[in-house]
Amino acid sequence: MQKKWKSVSGLLSVVLASMLMLSACSEGEKKQQAGDGEQADTSKPYEIVMTLLVPSTPPDLQLVADEINKITKAKINATIKFIPFSYSAYNQQMSLMLAGNEKVDLMLSGTFFNFGSQVAKGQLEPLNELLTKDGKGIVDAVGQDLINAAKVDGKIYGIPTMRDFAADNGLVMRKDLVEKYNIDLSKIKTWEDLGPIFKVIKDNEPGMTPLVQAGNTAMPASFMYGAGVDTFGDNLGVIVDPSNSTQIVNLFETKEFAESVALVHKWYKAGYINTDIATSQELGSSLVKSGKAFSYILNLKPGHDIQESQLTGKEMVEVSLTKPLQTSNNITNILWAISKNSKNPEKAMQFMNLMYTDKDIANLLSLGIEGKHYVKKTDNLIALPEGVEQSSYPSNQIFMGNNFLTYVWEGNAPDYWEQMKTFNDSAIKSKAVGFNFDVMPVKTEMAAVTNVINQYKNGLESGTLDPALIDEFNTKLKSAGLDKIIAEKQNQFDAWLNSGKK
Amino acid sequence: MKSNYLNQYLVNLIFILLACASIFPFVLLIMASFTDQKVIINSGYSLFPEDFSLDAYKYLLKSFSSIMHAYGLTVIITVVGTVLGLAISTMLAYPLSRNDMPLRKVLSFLVLFTLLFNGGLVPTYLMYTEYFHIKNTIWALILPGLLTNGFYILLVRSFFSTSIPAAIIESAYIDGAAEFKIFYRIVLPLSMPILATIGLMLGISYWNDWFNGLIYVTNSDLFSIQNLLNRMINDIQFIQSNSSFVSAQQAESIPSESVRMAIAVIGIIPILVAYPFFQKFFVKGLTLGAVKG
Repeated sequence: MQKKWKSVSGLLSVVLASMLMLSACSEGEKKQQAGDGEQADTSKPYEIVMTLLVPSTPPDLQLVADEINKITKAKINATIKFIPFSYSAYNQQMSLMLAGNEKVDLMLSGTFFNFGSQVAKGQLEPLNELLTKDGKGIVDAVGQDLINAAKVDGKIYGIPTMRDFAADNGLVMRKDLVEKYNIDLSKIKTWEDLGPIFKVIKDNEPGMTPLVQAGNTAMPASFMYGAGVDTFGDNLGVIVDPSNSTQIVNLFETKEFAESVALVHKWYKAGYINTDIATSQELGSSLVKSGKAFSYILNLKPGHDIQESQLTGKEMVEVSLTKPLQTSNNITNILWAISKNSKNPEKAMQFMNLMYTDKDIANLLSLGIEGKHYVKKTDNLIALPEGVEQSSYPSNQIFMGNNFLTYVWEGNAPDYWEQMKTFNDSAIKSKAVGFNFDVMPVKTEMAAVTNVINQYKNGLESGTLDPALIDEFNTKLKSAGLDKIIAEKQNQFDAWLNSGKK
Repeated sequence: MKSNYLNQYLVNLIFILLACASIFPFVLLIMASFTDQKVIINSGYSLFPEDFSLDAYKYLLKSFSSIMHAYGLTVIITVVGTVLGLAISTMLAYPLSRNDMPLRKVLSFLVLFTLLFNGGLVPTYLMYTEYFHIKNTIWALILPGLLTNGFYILLVRSFFSTSIPAAIIESAYIDGAAEFKIFYRIVLPLSMPILATIGLMLGISYWNDWFNGLIYVTNSDLFSIQNLLNRMINDIQFIQSNSSFVSAQQAESIPSESVRMAIAVIGIIPILVAYPFFQKFFVKGLTLGAVKG
């Protein structure tokens, strides 16, 4: 009996000790929090913690943050603290941070960054009242239509960043070869017209592939049907002719898909496409850069040819073959949101307002400090300062707030952003803009169907596989449950349409 | 006699092939890091590069400071982590190996239990960041790896119980030695093989660890070399599959294939160099308890 008590008491004391230790830790934290609460009055600037997505931590991040803080302290009595994230780690780190109640106020979200599940878990703050109170500038700058596109169940959870919201597709090719063979670009109106160009290149330039992939998920055929189809971002049930129709069908049974695949297959058989296109990991631009390829098909936007020329190091010229299309996920790809962990969402909203309306802050965020990271060449154009090869504040403008307020890099047209705005406005708008598909009811089917798609899609769209396999593809899709997904999507979509697109 | 030779010949041949298959990727890696980028795209990887070039390493020299920093950090983490880990593991395993310790069965069971069941990623993360506040500090790279493998504890414990005769310990008692002195003076010196084995395994797992860096660290001053390499490669994949998201300036700064190979080479070299020294002990440790006597 004694012995038993000894062992039990020993165990109990171990448990007791560890519990005491843990409670001491957490209590200490609570005391700390209470202390902060008492001190937080309006005279102390609130620190807004903001996520920043960058390829590598900019060496001058703190300098830029200080400049921004000068402005924000004066205007809204707040300071900004940046947390840099690398692209690939962002999703993982963000989901952990949100689960752990870590302090983060302004965060980048979007369908690309787990927006759907964040909304479902209640991790984002609804912005409706905040916008009316402190965010009027945002509504003016972005436009109520676009803001509505990110609504879920009537609540606004994120504000889109201002960038290109539509895509038209076409061919990007090397200008010098186009001129060498006197290829008349004005005669090219349809995808079929590209065939003869490829033939010219193939016959006269040995060792060079006329057409390659733009990337290993961007095969030629996907851009051919892409401009007339709203794929909802997942290719599982799409709308053909989305500005007029609201019927969701199986993409892989449509005429558009079959025609695109057949055309690409014809080119593949004629030798215009590289044989390893379905498996190659290279970007089309790197292949052109190394002199191995002539052209690739991609989605375009204003100024795209200049961007591609910079990427490939050779002058590129583009011909657009479709009208620009705006689909539901063009807008919700990248959104700025306020997390539920934020202790002062009003301040966060005030800063977001500045991001979208204040020219100085927009330029600081996207480009850096004038004089250090860029110099002004004219009123609107900027370039890197003398002798600087790479800016010590590299950032990705797509992820910032209102780019329409920023200066334009030299080499682009000075009215780049106006062109962008016109481009966006002129796009055909899909009726599904603003609709978010909740995948929970069909999660298992989605996994099975995605598996089947991975087996066939790249092969078919790159021309490697015989289009006759489309039937087999569709049979497998049906048995994996694609019809159930389409029915569910149509139900949700109809309900959304009927509720007045709220 | 003849069949013996044939057997020998065959066995040797098989192992030669296996050895070549193991070495081949390394050699290819090193060769690829010395190849010109254009050549890689045009003709793929090869053992004899058409265009020998030091471009990849020159590129790395530009960000020399950040890579050296990551290197230094990784070395510090590995050394500190291995020493601490060895100390903790042996100090935990030694009492478990002694028959006369109270609660021995219970504690052994607890250790075994952690081997089988785990709280999961989110609770672990919450534990380390909310209670221990180690996020973005160097401890985030050392602590989570310290005691997370019950297997090592069990290994050390069984070594202690089989290879340290109870008689020695008893005689030390009789001579008046305190517990810690017995541990320090008698048990540890006799356990060199197991210490080397566990030390090597701990060291390698610290050297190779990128996961802790991925989830606990956003401050780039605290990136270990594996974390750096992992992020670089994943970022490149991200950019490649979402080319519409990337501005031209950034796409230019993506390290080319040969640069990535060069970084990988830098990541492996110290291990390749250190391993032969530990090999002796490693083999001995592996055959622990296999032959009694």
